[in-house]
Amino acid sequence: MDYGHPLRFGASLTARDGALGPAAELAELSEELGYDLVTFSSGPEPADTWTLMSWTAARTGRVRLLAAHAAEMNPAVTARAAASLDLLAKGRAELVLAGRPSDGEALGEAIEIVRGMWAAADRSPLSYNGEHHKVAGAERGPAPAHTIPVWIDGADPALLRLAGRRADGWLAPPVTDAAGVGGLAMAQAAIDAAAAERGRDPREINRLARIAGRFTSDPGGFLTGPPGTWVADLLPLVTDHGFAMFVLAGDDPETLRRFALEVVPALRAAVADARRERGVTESAPGRSALVRSKRREGIDYDAVPASLSATAVEPGDAGYARVRSTYLRGGAPGLVLRPGTPAEVADAIRFASSQPVQLGIRSGGHGISGRSTNHGGIVIDVSRLHAIEVLDKDTRRVRIGPGARWSDVAEALAPHGWALSSGDYGGVGVGGLATAGGIGWLVRKHGLTLDHLCAVEMVLADGSLVRADEHENAELFWGVRGAGGNFGVVTSFEFEVDEVGDVGFAQFVFDATDMAGFLQRWGAAMEAAPRDLTSSIIMGRPRPGQPHVAQLMAVVDSDDGQTIIDRLQPIAAIAPLLDYSIQVLPYAAIMHVPPGTHDAQGEPVTRAALADHLTPELSAAAERLVGAGLTYFFQIRSVGGAASDVPPEATAYAGRSANFQLVAMGHSRRALDPAWDAMLPHFSGQYINFETDRRPERVREAYPGDTLRRLRALKRRYDPGNVFRDNFNIDPAEEDAVPATI
Amino acid sequence: MSDYGHDLLFGTFITPTNAAPHRVVALAQETEAAGLDLVTFQDHPYQAGFLDTWTLLSYVAARTERVHLSGNVVNLPLRPPAVLARAAASLDLLSGGRFELGIGAGGFWDAIEAMGGRRLSPGQAVDALSEAIDIVRGIWDADDKSRFRVDGAYYQVAGAKRGPAPAHDIGIWLGAYKPKMLRLTGAKADGWLPSLPYLDLSRLAEDNAIIDEAAQEAGREPAAVRRMLNVAGQFGTAGDRLLSGPPGVWAEQLAALTLEYGFSTYIVMADDPATIATFGAEVAPATRELVAKERAARATVPGTV
Repeated sequence: MDYGHPLRFGASLTARDGALGPAAELAELSEELGYDLVTFSSGPEPADTWTLMSWTAARTGRVRLLAAHAAEMNPAVTARAAASLDLLAKGRAELVLAGRPSDGEALGEAIEIVRGMWAAADRSPLSYNGEHHKVAGAERGPAPAHTIPVWIDGADPALLRLAGRRADGWLAPPVTDAAGVGGLAMAQAAIDAAAAERGRDPREINRLARIAGRFTSDPGGFLTGPPGTWVADLLPLVTDHGFAMFVLAGDDPETLRRFALEVVPALRAAVADARRERGVTESAPGRSALVRSKRREGIDYDAVPASLSATAVEPGDAGYARVRSTYLRGGAPGLVLRPGTPAEVADAIRFASSQPVQLGIRSGGHGISGRSTNHGGIVIDVSRLHAIEVLDKDTRRVRIGPGARWSDVAEALAPHGWALSSGDYGGVGVGGLATAGGIGWLVRKHGLTLDHLCAVEMVLADGSLVRADEHENAELFWGVRGAGGNFGVVTSFEFEVDEVGDVGFAQFVFDATDMAGFLQRWGAAMEAAPRDLTSSIIMGRPRPGQPHVAQLMAVVDSDDGQTIIDRLQPIAAIAPLLDYSIQVLPYAAIMHVPPGTHDAQGEPVTRAALADHLTPELSAAAERLVGAGLTYFFQIRSVGGAASDVPPEATAYAGRSANFQLVAMGHSRRALDPAWDAMLPHFSGQYINFETDRRPERVREAYPGDTLRRLRALKRRYDPGNVFRDNFNIDPAEEDAVPATI
Repeated sequence: MSDYGHDLLFGTFITPTNAAPHRVVALAQETEAAGLDLVTFQDHPYQAGFLDTWTLLSYVAARTERVHLSGNVVNLPLRPPAVLARAAASLDLLSGGRFELGIGAGGFWDAIEAMGGRRLSPGQAVDALSEAIDIVRGIWDADDKSRFRVDGAYYQVAGAKRGPAPAHDIGIWLGAYKPKMLRLTGAKADGWLPSLPYLDLSRLAEDNAIIDEAAQEAGREPAAVRRMLNVAGQFGTAGDRLLSGPPGVWAEQLAALTLEYGFSTYIVMADDPATIATFGAEVAPATRELVAKERAARATVPGTV
């Protein structure tokens, strides 16, 4: 019996005589020697191996950590401890549940509770009323970084049954001689029978053998002799008894070294030969029946490319809670692919384009118009492509991965005295913003984020990786700057960034009872302001009996106190000031947002637009909109300045005449749409990232006239099958009134 | 007025958020880099948003070299005392004597029960903590080769092997507010670790007196119990609230707390590097200086704890 699992080797280390340091050091040595995993047991002097494993997690970077929590611990706490270890160790934890022979039932309950706690995607509290363990409405979570395999340690029949029914792996008792090997065969059969009863494929269950031995010059018994003896003794364990994982006990560095260098390669070769002869194909244990049972219709999960399978997250995986939803949108995708290289992005696109389901592309997960989650579809999440590197100090050219967040970018550029104006919130990802616009805190001085773009590397719908800049694929480069989401997935951006020192950051609260007048005066003040001032205003629903207030945030691109005051004075004068603060801060401090995960529910309802001026008519209409309580978040950002220096035909972002960008968030599309539609005559264009209305007019607002014709031609050339469609979509099949000429 | 003469220690209280685990680790490293003495994490195992405090403490111990570590405070109802004792000793051994054991009797009983823990009344919880302290010390006493048996009202140990012995005398610190818990602190603990926001300042002298008296009844010096304090505040322009102002104001106020009420460890609730750096670089040295000056004037005999 050979389940065909790839061989894996580990070290089983003992905390001896209360000295834990040596065991921890051997764990580090094991990683250096190329072992795949480490596990600890306490020696005759009791010690806490969980502590030792958590320590080891911090001192290693690659080995898997087979960790046993103390059997006396509450299983719900054990679940959180294991998830925490997995999060800290970036997905390297595996949980061993051990017990006395009679504990089969208690361990079975513990597995249920542990997995229930990890299932954080389920928002209902966990209750479990077992004979041995109870949980009465505990909040689930955290989800571990990966689906933590649960191992059963022990050979009692009840434990073997449990392993077969519910576990991901079985730790066999130490194999000490050839005769003992025979006993293992019966245990394996018991596990397989229990698995079969539950409809599980026995190959789902890993089998690990603990071994110990000595290197001697002459053969002297089981695992005693030269490396050849070891190989001869271990080979039948693989080919006939179903073991593909071995952990070597003994705590002897020299034995660990010789085993790794002399036995492992020879055993691998012998196993490969034997498997070839017998026609056993090697494959890692796939996702368990439990995980597969949560799969969604329409996705051929078994066809997920091998390069993506291990990092992909599907609904039954423990990490699902962390990836299902985005900042403003609840979702339940059927598969989240997490490529870590451009080649893997290509694999992901090729796979996704063959599946008849929705496809979202996610960088930071803040997309409002760009649907970076969905229900039952595929998401390609590029957050692992987050590198930030300086290419040329003289020209301030930097290369940034699409999965970096603007907070990280600001922090990375700050030591150089540089910044790249992005959006107004640091938690936003680079990819979705830099392909659409980028109206940030320095926009009037330094322009849009995409105005700093010099080149991109991207994967197209057919999976090919191309570079685009002013010379190479120039038309594609034009389209990427404003409509990038329609043509592919950018895997790296090259920007030229600006020298930016500390900046003035102001927050004002105004009495905006005269809202239309307030908007007009702010609009006029901003249009008259020097470019080093950028500001935005936010208003919410009116509160009965209270004056209507507007919050204003402003950045002055100067660290000079007098300049900051000079710029802010005209703004402060537009309405009665209720509260204010002014600070001089590094740009990175304004953008600072700690990393975290998203867990929104529902679907955002927003409308957006660009406007050239806050005319009396527009201001009055905005007052009616806000006054009617149709929006709980109404924001206007100043644009213009350097963003208007670029001709509208220079990039696919066409709204160059706009001095203002508006967005309204509401609770009801039926209520918000008519009110906003009535305001359309006052607008000059569309900012695609904030607009959730899916009527085709919105696309024409963003890409007027020739811009849309050029984009349509590009779309037909680069994505004729409309693979990239769950965004501000340019439909390749639609006909334009006048075809483009390029 | 009671100054127990302890040397001053300064530390941080970092939120163990699991949304960004490595940021939490980095804040602990910032604590060490800032020259502070102690990194602590709260322990609420029923809180889904936090990392498991024990796993985190062990991980952070491996990523730091000098700073001491403690739970602030470890949740006894969900951490069986014998396991806790072995884990504490193990971490102390691995870290070269840098672990301290802050323990709490538990308070959020609905949440503890939801996790499958046992609900106790506040009075029972103090009695359980008292038993647990004896078990912890019994496990640590590895020189005693007899099997360890306890048949308590709350905890039983059935002939366990003792050990491991920790690398140093791990301090047991209690988060205590009510008289019964204060008496337990005086009788059995090495440190009193309340949080300033929950303390009634007008009762401080009385609280100290309860601890002192309980210590003396147990045949201990009052100075055997270090008085420690979790504090929160803001750096910036001076305000009305305690610890709201520039570092110099903090130092004056903390020095007063030492000289008037005997506190000698200050643990700042801080989740940003700037606060940690300022606390280490400015508040700690300035407070030490103020206290040293005043103690010299008073000729206080330094304590040994």
